[in-house]
Amino acid sequence: MAKARPAAPSSAAGVAPSKPGPSAAAAPAPSNVRVSNALKEFLWLISDVPQGRILDLGPVWQSTVSFFVDKGYRVSTEDLLRTWKEFLTAEEEGFRRAPVGATAERISPAALADKFLESALQYQERSFHGVLAWDLLDYFDPEVTPRLMERLAQLIHPGGAMLAMFHSRAAERFHRYRVVDGQTIELIPAPTLAVHAHVFQNREILGLFAEFRSSKTFVGRDQVREGLFLK
Amino acid sequence: MAATRRSVFRSEEDSMWRKPAEGKPSSESYNQPVSSSAPVESSLAPQPSPAPAPPAPSRSLADSAPVALGGNASRITSGLKINGEITGSADLYIDGEVQGKLRLGSARVTVGPNGRVQADIEAREIVVEGQVDGNLKAGERAHFGSSSRVNGSVMTPRIGIDDGARLRGKVETVQAAPARPTSSGIKQEATETLQPVEASVKSE
Repeated sequence: MAKARPAAPSSAAGVAPSKPGPSAAAAPAPSNVRVSNALKEFLWLISDVPQGRILDLGPVWQSTVSFFVDKGYRVSTEDLLRTWKEFLTAEEEGFRRAPVGATAERISPAALADKFLESALQYQERSFHGVLAWDLLDYFDPEVTPRLMERLAQLIHPGGAMLAMFHSRAAERFHRYRVVDGQTIELIPAPTLAVHAHVFQNREILGLFAEFRSSKTFVGRDQVREGLFLK
Repeated sequence: MAATRRSVFRSEEDSMWRKPAEGKPSSESYNQPVSSSAPVESSLAPQPSPAPAPPAPSRSLADSAPVALGGNASRITSGLKINGEITGSADLYIDGEVQGKLRLGSARVTVGPNGRVQADIEAREIVVEGQVDGNLKAGERAHFGSSSRVNGSVMTPRIGIDDGARLRGKVETVQAAPARPTSSGIKQEATETLQPVEASVKSE
């Protein structure tokens, strides 16, 4: 049976700040939305999997959870960037509290990542059919990102998809993302949890996703690259 | 400047992106040149046809604000710590610390802002404003307030999540437990026999 064709967006990916209008008082509209072709393709790719599992690496949002659960998916959330920052804070605290003369040494970002992954992203291999990474890879140390990607690739079921976004220049403001509908995401301005660490070149992105079979990118008017990667 | 889908990084297996043509998102829609001045809001405007179907109420997961706690709820106040298993049918408000297991199948469990729970919770309604490390199983609904911190899986027919809530775990929907009709056909509520509470209480 043919699948229902998703509604075509009338615009390419881009950001559209909504304007408050008379109806805004009754139902506040999303303040900062973005038409996302990558999200639409992501949904299409995972639509064959009944009761598939989705991993959202951002904070938990009612709208995102409801959107996927209403479609029959199971959703796991792990705010990876916040967890990472809390981990770093704890590590730094442990270092500061180490007695003078102790052998405590600062370890490299890569070694920190390995230690971090002993407690983060603890799921069975191949347990997710879709992963929403949003733009968080931009905020990790370049030495850390390959470790994260290695783990994420293990978690994705063959045929599964991963959505990631990359800024073409250092992001001016820190945002969180949530799903509004099948082709729209909302950018939520948030207190800066981390500074933008790295602007990935296309070939670097391909290197990060070397374990994936194929990829597509969509570039918006704001030059944010939406990547969709198929394992 | 027109902005459209720009490129395909790689295409080692072109066929992997192919699905039945009728199910594929229209490439034409991507290739339409769009003026940068085109209002993107138009894509979000309601389409004249077909009329969007109203959401089925039974599938709606969005939940309203937590219901006020009944006055007869048992309370574990701040400064109390309980280790053990709590069972029964009375509503429970936790603002202290609980470790163990909570099974209150027909009642509401509320973890207050100061509440710290390291236990699996099974209840009709679960409302969290504090911190829970454990798996939650709600018969009717679960609600996570803006200050909630939950590490564990959630099984519930309906879930409400306030902005600012933090959840590390899985959300899975289950069918709501059917109401048990009595012989007269009236819904039966909270008729379970109160189970003894086996716990040790330590005041801090």
